[in-house]
Amino acid sequence: MYRLGLDLGSSYTKGVLVDENNRMTDSYCVRSGYNFNNAATKIINHFNEKYEFGYPVFTCGYGREQIQAPFVSNSELIALSRAVYEIYRSSCSIIDIGGQDTKFIQVNALGQVEKFKMNRKCAAGTGSFLEEIAFRLDVTPEEFTAFAKEATEEVRINSFCTVFAISEIIGMIKNGSTLPNIILGIYNSIILRSFELSLIVDHLVITGGLPAMHPTIVSLFKKSYPDTDSPEHSQFLAAWGCVLLNNERKSMDPIPPDPFPQQGKGE
Amino acid sequence: MNEKTIQDKSELVKLKSVNELRTTMDGYFARLKEAAETGNRKIAWCTSVGPAELLYSMGFEVYFPENHGAMLGAGKNADKYIPTAVAHGYSPDICSYLTSDIGAFLQNETPLVKSGFSSVPKPDILVYNTNQCREVEDWFSFYARHFNVPILGIHTPLSIQELSPEIVKSVSDQYHRIIPDLEKVAGRKFDIDCFRESVGLSHEGCVLWKQVLQKARHLPSPINFFDSAIHMGPIVVMRGTSHAVEYYKILLAELEERIENNISAVPVERFRVYWEGMPIWYRLSSLAKLFAKLDTCIVASTYCNSWVFDDLDPANPFESSALAYSKLFIVRSDTIKEDILEQLMQEFTVHGIIYHESKTCARNSNNRFGLQNRLFKKTGIPYLEINGDLNDPRCYSEEQSIIAIETFIDQLSGQMK
Repeated sequence: MYRLGLDLGSSYTKGVLVDENNRMTDSYCVRSGYNFNNAATKIINHFNEKYEFGYPVFTCGYGREQIQAPFVSNSELIALSRAVYEIYRSSCSIIDIGGQDTKFIQVNALGQVEKFKMNRKCAAGTGSFLEEIAFRLDVTPEEFTAFAKEATEEVRINSFCTVFAISEIIGMIKNGSTLPNIILGIYNSIILRSFELSLIVDHLVITGGLPAMHPTIVSLFKKSYPDTDSPEHSQFLAAWGCVLLNNERKSMDPIPPDPFPQQGKGE
Repeated sequence: MNEKTIQDKSELVKLKSVNELRTTMDGYFARLKEAAETGNRKIAWCTSVGPAELLYSMGFEVYFPENHGAMLGAGKNADKYIPTAVAHGYSPDICSYLTSDIGAFLQNETPLVKSGFSSVPKPDILVYNTNQCREVEDWFSFYARHFNVPILGIHTPLSIQELSPEIVKSVSDQYHRIIPDLEKVAGRKFDIDCFRESVGLSHEGCVLWKQVLQKARHLPSPINFFDSAIHMGPIVVMRGTSHAVEYYKILLAELEERIENNISAVPVERFRVYWEGMPIWYRLSSLAKLFAKLDTCIVASTYCNSWVFDDLDPANPFESSALAYSKLFIVRSDTIKEDILEQLMQEFTVHGIIYHESKTCARNSNNRFGLQNRLFKKTGIPYLEINGDLNDPRCYSEEQSIIAIETFIDQLSGQMK
């Protein structure tokens, strides 16, 4: 029977189905919106159409305890580290760029979290920073990546604050900077913010929604740290890690007849 | 990991002494109120690690604006008042005790109404010591201008590496120097025997407070940081009086009884953690519950240990006051701070240390110059940094901090396996 891992993040809720061999079989992602339970229900219903999976589900992220289905909650950073360790089986540094948080995690050779650090209470350098700027510039993530490839030189975005960064960008456009060069500057400002979290002393693994949607950022990380990698499905790793962390849980309950009587399926 | 069905471990058993604490604090405020209403005694405002013994010995009732600031923070009202102080030209980046206190004053509001005050007690004189920070001088100057009353200061050098006889002499001389001005306001002569008595009581109170804190060395600890942050009230505001001494005898006896009966501060103590930095006053209770739920006891803190002035000596009241108030953690160099922290972490057998980087309190944020990394290299004890503030909740992200704290405890758990 499959097991379901859910990473209920500030922007997106990610779900993965994990088979008996601990492989990620399928994944699905929805916007978290204002109700984590609704987001979780959408994912559960989506998988229910094709698969049979057990309860409890294994959760992490901001909404990890905000769902009505039986759950076991986990620390997101520990879950993410567990998943990354499952792939590489060695010590590494992880930079995870999510919707509201950028996290640095140092994983030791035993797969344990040696050290971690999260961004300050500020959205600069996170997915929200990029989303807001993209919205204001009216550019999609795909266009963002394409534009960055056309950049001929980097411009420096200095503002920590998203609102001021936009004013700064508007000023640059006024002064003749090209959009590709500005976009490259935005990517680099995110990278520089992440480097503030800690010294990188190891193989660097980039994860999270932002590198998944903006793969260019991974190649830019490589310029500073050639030994950089971003695994496939990187935004789903924490959800997968939740299941891996709970491997010792043997007795899987069958699916309850209707775990969400008041929600209704397909909501 | 937390299962939905887990038994609620956040139910903390309050110390019985809390009733006696309330009585002791009520008595303090009643004396202040009487002085404010009848003028039977003069009122001095004093900084929290200022020359309280000297003021008590000269017959003043002593009021501490920092205590008021903490009350505003704990009452979750600071953010209501800070904007008013900011509008009057005080930056939101400076001490939020200062901005919330001045803001509340400008709005003519105070939590002291619960103790029957119509406003904060009007000072006859203000006395500060810059050993903790320079902000206290500006803070007190606001009130000196407003009430048009004298203000006296003791200026202590900062970042003291070697506590030399010259420094002690300089501070001791300043104690002597402010006495004539205090006499004028007090309307009485300084009496060395009264000062000796007050210093003696302060010493006794500090030793008892230290013994209270040291009970947390016991496994499991009968008291945690969140209790201490509340029960430290008397040592802050009644240091140098018999009231603090009497209270800590009661609290100490209860902790001894708890140890005898194996009663711990948190229902299950698996992890012992040190708290560096200011309390997050507006989240004190929710953090206490969170740590309890995570089987974690915050067994020691720089903050609570800062009111242990056991160098005070009635035989040498001036010199020992100068020594004690220049020796405290906040006024020392980073090298000395590292040594003190290392010693406290060992003494209380902690598994980890949490640094609260307080946005508006640089002097109480000791992770800003790499100390945390140096200490980690030296001790191997993992650390976590939390960004927040003592009083201004706008500088604190609760969700992010909860995730960080839960992860940190998971990290400690993983490393203990």
